[in-house]
Amino acid sequence: METARRTPRQALELLYLLVRKEMKVRYKSSFLGYIWALANPFAYALVYWIAFKFIMRIEVENYSLFLITGIFPWLWLSASVVSGTRSLFVNATLVKKVNVPRAILPLSNVVQEMVHFAFALPVIVAFVCVAGDYALNASWLWQVPLLLAVQLAFIYPLALSMAVVNVFIHDIEHLVGIGFTLLFFATPMVYPITLVPEAYRHFFELNPFHALIQSWRSVFLQGTLEGAPLAYAAAFAVVAGAVAWLLYRKLAPRIGELV
Amino acid sequence: MSDAVICRDLWKSYRPRRPIGLKSFVVGPRSAAEGDRFVRQWALAGVNFRVAKGQAFGVVGHNGSGKTTLLSVLLGTIRKERGEVDVRGRVASLLELGAGFHGELTGRENVALYGSILGMTLREIRERFDAIVEFSELDRAIDSPLRTYSAGMIVRLGFSIIMHSPADVFLIDEVLAVGDARFQDKCRHHLREFKKRNGTLVIVSHNMAELSEICDEGICLELGEVVEEGPIERVIAGYRARSATPPPVASAARP
Repeated sequence: METARRTPRQALELLYLLVRKEMKVRYKSSFLGYIWALANPFAYALVYWIAFKFIMRIEVENYSLFLITGIFPWLWLSASVVSGTRSLFVNATLVKKVNVPRAILPLSNVVQEMVHFAFALPVIVAFVCVAGDYALNASWLWQVPLLLAVQLAFIYPLALSMAVVNVFIHDIEHLVGIGFTLLFFATPMVYPITLVPEAYRHFFELNPFHALIQSWRSVFLQGTLEGAPLAYAAAFAVVAGAVAWLLYRKLAPRIGELV
Repeated sequence: MSDAVICRDLWKSYRPRRPIGLKSFVVGPRSAAEGDRFVRQWALAGVNFRVAKGQAFGVVGHNGSGKTTLLSVLLGTIRKERGEVDVRGRVASLLELGAGFHGELTGRENVALYGSILGMTLREIRERFDAIVEFSELDRAIDSPLRTYSAGMIVRLGFSIIMHSPADVFLIDEVLAVGDARFQDKCRHHLREFKKRNGTLVIVSHNMAELSEICDEGICLELGEVVEEGPIERVIAGYRARSATPPPVASAARP
């Protein structure tokens, strides 16, 4: 028997409705809701700005911009993998009581966070233009959508794999939370990679998360999108996609009885 | 007449294995019994039946006899182990009313979401929207958030949506008795109409009066095995006779 018989169009409609639901819930009181969604990344940036600019006094040019342009894409990444990991349990009724394609549940988490990020883009751009005294850059029109697509393809396989594995090894959801805290500091987020001692810098550059964040920074701060980090992030996305697909195909049939 | 649901020699077991946790790696299973929590080997043991198009099929049995497992396998959310399952046409499940409803969304938004979850296209939902609202008798409340609804209103909305989904086969688990007496009458009437249009029903219920009213044939399950089959009256009589004696090894039920 064919399960979850849905056309791609129906799957997209369901994805749209699931994302819209979360948007509606989160931006309930529309204007303030938007402010709150922005408050979190700005609070992060402020804390690190105070800690590193005032107290530890590292010398980084335009440190506030450096923080803002990294933290927003990072929060999209970490928030969607963390919530995606739990998605099959959070939506247990959808997994057990109706025939919904399960892969759509973590995807809706990733897309939700992408929409938040997209909503925040004008604020990031305004910040870059005002605080950094940069002008609007026409090449953002193709660079930003391209990076959005690469990051979506980068995150979704991570979220899907973690969601599926979490059904079998329930501790994963805690490990993912801790893992992203560690990754936040292992990825040059609050310090530039040039501060990493030369002997270790090579390892830091192998981090695909760094390639992604670095691409966002160079887009916002220089208006350029370098090929190498982008290609590296895209290659990671392809490999992660293949792994996620295999995991999903192998493990998905048993999800229903374990959730 | 052709069959809509065919179930041939269906077997299903829940493996005596829990999701692996770090704790069991570190400290080992809590007790010998824990590793062996599912005492019974088979949740479904060689279940056979077929349901013709336009018929209603009742499934009865004590708690833990495998009724919900059977529906889940028919729906496809749980994998069968052996045997053959064939459900022809579009399936809508009523295993839980309003799975996916959200309190912050209005009734209108929930219609779209739940409809899509059930497998309707947005277009189908739009076409049927007025009929759904009318059936639910929610009137203008349809634009209020679901959290302001009474339990009865939520149930009416859920039932109205599923009743209007263009499914060929409905799988229903214990959720027939919804709303007040009048609304229940309406639902029964609607289900009969559905049958007349050649729709097929598979119903799990403990309400024998309801089953005998709407179903044609059925089975009685006991510990995963079919112990009675045939016309619904005979199945119910068999179930009643068995109910007079305590169910065998009730502790072996799936938790």
